[in-house]
Amino acid sequence: MRDFEYESPTTLPEALAILATGPGCRPLAGGTDLIDHVRVGRLAPDVLVDVKKLPELNILEAGPKGLRIGAATPCFRIVAHEAIQRDYAALADSAHIIGGIQIQNRATFGGNVCTSGPAADSIPSLIALSAACVIAGPQGTRRVPIEQFCTGPGKNVLQPGELLVEFELPAPGPHSGSHYRRFIPRNEMDIAVVGVGAAVTLDAGGQTITAARIALGAVAPTPLLAEQAAQAVIGQPVGESTFQAAGRAAREIISPITDMRGTAEFRTHVTGVLVERVLQAAVSRARGGRS
Amino acid sequence: MPELPVAWKPQAENVVFGKEVSRIDGVDKATGFAKYSADINTPGTLHGKLLQSPYAHARIKAIDVEAARKVPGVKAVYVFPDRAPRTNEETGEPIYFEIEHEGQPIAAVAAETSGQADDGLRAIKVVYEPLEFFVDEFHLPRAVELGRARPIRAAQQGDLEGAFKAAAHTITGMYGIQTISHMCLEPHGSHCEFTDGDHLTAHLSTQNVSGTPGQFASPLGLDAAKVHVSCDYMGGGFGSKFAADEWDIACAAMARDAQRPVKLMLDRATELNIPGSRPSAFAEITVAADADGKLVAWDSHHWGTSGPQGGTVAPTVMPYVFEPKNRRTRATGIVTNRGPDRAWRAPNHPQACALTQTAIDDLAAAIGVDPYDLFLKNLDLTWSATSRNPADKDIYAAELEIAAKLMDWKAKWHPRGEAGDGPVKTGLGLALHTWGGAAGRGTCTVAIHPDGTVETFSGTQDLGTGTRTALAVILAESFGLPYEKIKVHIGSSKYPMSGPSGGSTTIGGVSGPHRRAALKALGRIYDLVAAKHSVDAGTLTAANEQILSAGKPVCTWAEACSLLGPMKVEFQGEGPANDGLTSAQVGGVQMAEVAVDVETGVTKVVRYVAVQDIGTIVCREQAKSQVLGAMIMTIAYALSEERIMDNATGRFVNADLQHYKLPRIGDIGELIVEFYEPESQYKKGVIGLGEPPVISGGAAISNAVANAVGQRIPVLPLTPKRILDSLRS
Ligand SMILES: Cc1cc2nc3c(=O)[nH]c(=O)nc-3n(C[C@H](O)[C@H](O)[C@H](O)COP(=O)(O)OP(=O)(O)OC[C@H]3O[C@@H](n4cnc5c(N)ncnc54)[C@H](O)[C@@H]3O)c2cc1C
Repeated sequence: MRDFEYESPTTLPEALAILATGPGCRPLAGGTDLIDHVRVGRLAPDVLVDVKKLPELNILEAGPKGLRIGAATPCFRIVAHEAIQRDYAALADSAHIIGGIQIQNRATFGGNVCTSGPAADSIPSLIALSAACVIAGPQGTRRVPIEQFCTGPGKNVLQPGELLVEFELPAPGPHSGSHYRRFIPRNEMDIAVVGVGAAVTLDAGGQTITAARIALGAVAPTPLLAEQAAQAVIGQPVGESTFQAAGRAAREIISPITDMRGTAEFRTHVTGVLVERVLQAAVSRARGGRS
Repeated sequence: MPELPVAWKPQAENVVFGKEVSRIDGVDKATGFAKYSADINTPGTLHGKLLQSPYAHARIKAIDVEAARKVPGVKAVYVFPDRAPRTNEETGEPIYFEIEHEGQPIAAVAAETSGQADDGLRAIKVVYEPLEFFVDEFHLPRAVELGRARPIRAAQQGDLEGAFKAAAHTITGMYGIQTISHMCLEPHGSHCEFTDGDHLTAHLSTQNVSGTPGQFASPLGLDAAKVHVSCDYMGGGFGSKFAADEWDIACAAMARDAQRPVKLMLDRATELNIPGSRPSAFAEITVAADADGKLVAWDSHHWGTSGPQGGTVAPTVMPYVFEPKNRRTRATGIVTNRGPDRAWRAPNHPQACALTQTAIDDLAAAIGVDPYDLFLKNLDLTWSATSRNPADKDIYAAELEIAAKLMDWKAKWHPRGEAGDGPVKTGLGLALHTWGGAAGRGTCTVAIHPDGTVETFSGTQDLGTGTRTALAVILAESFGLPYEKIKVHIGSSKYPMSGPSGGSTTIGGVSGPHRRAALKALGRIYDLVAAKHSVDAGTLTAANEQILSAGKPVCTWAEACSLLGPMKVEFQGEGPANDGLTSAQVGGVQMAEVAVDVETGVTKVVRYVAVQDIGTIVCREQAKSQVLGAMIMTIAYALSEERIMDNATGRFVNADLQHYKLPRIGDIGELIVEFYEPESQYKKGVIGLGEPPVISGGAAISNAVANAVGQRIPVLPLTPKRILDSLRS
């Protein structure tokens, strides 16, 4: 494995200053993607800038205005967070299935999003829950909706010297629920063949879907916000035929590839099945008051 | 006194033999004290790495390693035999080495650091002339067309045509099972070091400690007596680690050149690719029964590939275990540019079972009977792996009954496809198997010290099966000592010769000699005690660290051993022998319950029952572990594990643990192991168990899935894609 230098700044300005010194610098969060990429020669950084000691990147706060998750928050903190389990359950679903316990102790949502893999397990949940990415860089701070963050497999909107600081999520209204599920051929520790995240809000009687966001992973070059699938359920009564309509709409908009993990046809089929099942689970969470 | 009769103790008198005991090396393994070849790092050890062919089929037109020798840190460069172009001395024509599969080693480098070894490999220049390759294992007509199919081997018996005509029920189907790798947790490889100029010590990960010194010696031009092979612990071989492989020779040659120790362990991608695979097998099968459900005729043509050798599953094991009187089998091997095969746990049997007993299950479904009844009805047509005499069909019948109870078969079974309306369908399946497991060759030296300490030396190896513990248990039971007190020395070619661990020959191969040596020692000790204490030697026994006469203590074990004199006394054991301590021929029945999600194609093993007869049990817990390991390996090849070859590039595209799908713990389900052990089994003698339990589960799981979803999914592993493709076509 190629040698690199290691920096461990404790303030955000310090970190940004190091990152500004050149393209050979690269942020290091949990390292569960990055170190492997260096090992196999896919990346060859000169300096790794550890971002785990930056307070701004370790925020984890839920309040009336919503949820803030620092980019360096490891998955295990997200899984264990009560407000997330209650109000943003899809995030806990995602954090709970990324790798195993050892990986979850180190892996961060920031790292997962910045690796920008089409099959990243955190992104569909963040899309479904309308997250915004807060990005700091030499030109100041900007916000990018999560569904616009990835631009291709392994590519994103970050410019040289920029750092993902945190995710901001709006507070969901009453009678809301969310869920993330992926299809993998094995029970655990596998890469998603298809991943689906959904967030729904019901009317007070719990019978009609008043708002929905559905996101799809691993079926296109980037994780997708499936607006057509959401449109198929908004204003519709809760029920099998509504979920099926969303499944059909989702199958229409994806462009999966064929590889050894699954053919395009297989992924298309499973996408529909998962959309139905994820909506069902999100609705039952919305009804159970544990949204 | 006359020699003690050679036998195991009466079953009721055993204290540790056949009981549940912990491994004597369990703590060492769990804490990392146990050293594997990959753990050996003597001072100055260099990193050895291989340069491998990126092509599946090519000629090597030129190799230039000179630049590699100059790379900083590189201490030795090795070119594998014949890889460099040569000239035919008579004709003057050049001779070029032909690469037969992707990953074939060409050269090796040893360097101070792993990065420098990589730099060294990059500096080697190889000119290839790529040739046409073929890695398609499945499409037989294509192989025939391209001249890649070997001639058909056929065998026939009885009146096939007449039998099919007269049959009441006939089915025809296609069945298959894909190629898998051995995937040893500890990869192949060695640490090699020369001392005193020409003495080689090789820490080799091997199933064959006693047999490998000569394999190092001859290509290196050394005396075999100057090679010491050592393997204290090893992490799996499954039939792929009998040899000092060519990369081990490279490792030793570089150690000699550099005058430094070198370690060369295969990386994971290479481990998956080149040091062994289990051949694929596909078949077209027609099988028929009479109106009673009795099998009357069988016709099969199977094909597959073992790689460049072009072998396929041995026709002699087709049809598997059940043998209708009228039958024809045909077999075609395909020559492919795929990594070569090696023996894989019960060679030929898992494939033959997966082809045969699925077809028989389909016949039961076509007739509309419970396969349990059909299998039971045809037990008189079974053969055994060792004798081809009709096996003891009563054992199979008893095992079927035990397994059915553990599975609650009769209550749970439903006709094929009648699994309810929900998306998750459950189903049951069964299959059965046979194996030999006769004792291999072995010798040992058991030393008894005057202070009563006991140690044994044997050039066998512990593949992870618990051989060390078994030896301790045998000696402890013989001498009436706690098994933790026995010192077991194995894993060195300096110890008395013991055979390779393959074919389930180890436990018989080591337990016989150890019991024989122990009985010789006991006879001697009893004589000394009898003389000293004026008791009849014929009344003496050893138990609780004491020597007893007719059940009454005479002296302690240590006092008895002090009578041996001032020096330790050694007793030799040999085997195999025809004295009843060991024997051969086991069988078993496996049943699986699965739940298949027909919308996603995901199959879960809910419950999996293995009932196995194994003769005399030495270590109950380790025997059970063998079966559990086999069941997990079976779930792997039944549901997810396979090599994926790319027809466009000739490459093994999933040669990593992310894409080569071994099951996770959550995929395993409930495993139930039950030994069939009436008294007659204890009297049978010790028989190997390593292989049999990995044979029939593939067919059982496939049958369970067919029962759940209402149709045969023809090819293992039953991935979600294969299941959905079949259901939707
Ligand atoms: C065994 C194993 C199993 C895995 N299983 C899964 C799985 O089930 N699902 C899944 O989605 N992933 C999985 N992964 C991949 C990986 O663990 C996740 O993507 C993880 O979330 C990455 O986070 P990290 O903190 O380790 O990122 P790192 O490896 O530290 O960084 C990843 C990338 O993001 C960049 N980066 C990190 N933080 C920032 C930041 N704040 N600003 C800008 N750039 C940044 C780094 O430079 C690097 O390029 C697995 C990995 C392993 C090794």
